[in-house]
Parts: sequence; C-alpha cells; structure tokens
Amino acid sequence: MQRILMIAFCGLLVTGCSGTRVVLVPDPDGKVGQVSVATQAGEAVLHKSGETTRASASDSKPANPEVWSQDQIQDVFAAALANEPLPPQRHRIHFATGTADLPAEAGPVLQAIKQAVEQRKSCDISVIGHSDRAGDDAWNRDLSLKRADAVARALKLAGIADACMDIRYYGEHDPVVPTADGVSEPRNRRVEVEIR
Amino acid sequence: MEKRTFSGHREWMTALSLFLSAAAFAEPASDPRIGTIKTSRPEAVVLHQGAEQPAQVGSRIYRGDTIVTRSDGAVGISFMDGAVLSLGPDSRFTVDDFLFKPANREVSFLSTLAKGTATFISGAIGRISPESVKFKTPTATLALRGTKILVEVK
Repeated sequence: MQRILMIAFCGLLVTGCSGTRVVLVPDPDGKVGQVSVATQAGEAVLHKSGETTRASASDSKPANPEVWSQDQIQDVFAAALANEPLPPQRHRIHFATGTADLPAEAGPVLQAIKQAVEQRKSCDISVIGHSDRAGDDAWNRDLSLKRADAVARALKLAGIADACMDIRYYGEHDPVVPTADGVSEPRNRRVEVEIR
Repeated sequence: MEKRTFSGHREWMTALSLFLSAAAFAEPASDPRIGTIKTSRPEAVVLHQGAEQPAQVGSRIYRGDTIVTRSDGAVGISFMDGAVLSLGPDSRFTVDDFLFKPANREVSFLSTLAKGTATFISGAIGRISPESVKFKTPTATLALRGTKILVEVK
C-alpha cells in the first residue's frame, strides 16, 4: 500500500514539478529589457522579445532560450494578460526658473490628469516635485515641494481628493537631464504626476 | 496631503548621508501600503498577517502579504513604485520585501511565485537599482532589468 502511494505521489511530482517558465516581452512603452533565470546549476539570460526558457529543477540548468509565438504565449498566459491593470500614466508640468507658479500651459495637463483619474476611478496618485540645479540644494528641495504642492492644490480644486494624492519631492536629485551643479535646465524644473 | 517625501539622487545621497543625519531625509511612515488591487476576479484572497481577506478592487497590499487565486481567479496590482503585477488562476504570490526609499538608495522588491501564472512590469525600483528586483520560484531565481516578464510555475 505504501509503495502504491509512493508511486502515485511521484507521478504527481512529475507533472507537479515541471518547473518555471519565463518569457520576456516588451513593456508598455515597447522596450525590451533583460531577465536572467538562475538555478543552482546555471543561468539563462533572455534579452529578445518573446524569448523563453524553462527551469525544470533547481539542480539542473535552465533550458536554452527559444522564441515563443503570440499563440504560445496566449496558451499559457491568456488569463493573467486579460486581467492586467492599466500601466501607470505619467504627466509632466514644467515651471519657470525659481518659481512654483503654475504656468498657463498647465491647464490642459491638469485636465488630462483629471480625465485619467476619472477614467481609472483612481485614488492612487503620486505628485512629485523636482527642481534643476540652479540655486543651492536646500532651497531647491523647498522649491520642489512648493511646486508639488501647487500642482496638488490645483488638482484638489479640480475635484481630486487630497487623500488620493501622495506628495513627494526630490529637489534637484532626480533630473530628466543630468547637469553640473548651478546649471539652469528647463526640462528638470517640473512636477510629475503618476496615476496608477 | 499629509504624506510628504523627500528623495534624493543616489550618488549625491551616498556622499551626503555621511554628513547629515538620517532624520533630514525621513520617509513617511504614515502609509505602509506598498500597492493597491486594481483588478480582481473571484475567487481571490489576500493573506495579511495570518488573516484571509477577499481581494477586492481598492484593497491595499502590504509587505509580507500573500495573494492567492483559485481556479477562475485573477488579481491585478499596481505597486507604489509604478510596477504592475497580474496573477492568473491557481496562483500563489508573496511580497517578501518591498522597500522604496530612493533618498537613502534603500530599494528592494523581492517576491515569490510559488505556483500559477504572473505577468510583471518593473517600476522605479528597477530603474533606480536593477539588481534589486528579484522573483523567486521553487526552481529558479529571476533577476529583472527594467522589463516585462511572464512567469509560469507548475
């Protein structure tokens, strides 16, 4: 009896332990990154769209990568792919040097943000203030917060609840375009709004 | 609007943190949420500190939580760093560690897919520190570099 149970159990193991399948696909922006799949016995690196490997056991090497078709991907991942949340949507508002005054051009961006929030019924929004590197660091930190606050106030006036906004400020330390200290760079003077 | 976070650039922070107290860069402790459920199809549950709750749209996800889907279930989650996860049926996923304090360059996103299917798009943590995003499965460890992957464990 025990032996029969063992055989049944191992039979289950064979189907139940067929391992880990990994497929690399483009992200929502169309970019294809890289993923390494490592076991105790070795590693396979995927870096092409649709490339896939399987690690059948932790003590054997992952299979040589091959490329899967859309049909093969759908066969395995249809349900997970059909239920993916929308990727986060990001908007930028740029500021004049040294100020946290909302520019006139902010109007349409604020409208687009409000629309996206309503469409997604989102209560999960980050408002992130940034500065360039003109001016000293402490001042820029303060300025980046004031910019984030200005955008958050405008969004609140547009009807977005305070409680749904997470306000962050990075000062001059997360530039779009890295520059030397003291450099004025319009693209870095911004507030980014991420709607999830 | 009670949550405010200052986050700095990593190299700069590394240098500066030698000189300044950590308190100046305190991150908010007010909301330890790491993600929010955006899509859900029954049956799906969240195991949070030993308690089982239905996985509903809008439910918050915390570090250490496990998400379980049954035969027709599915769950989609957006994380605070912009990463997006979708779980298919008969899946079990745990967030082992989620640390998002870019000011101190303390970022980490470690998770385990014990079974089932998942799609995953990495977010800011993967951008700031690609080596910090890892997926474990019973047979392998996956290290992501700014990308989208599909994973099946069976």
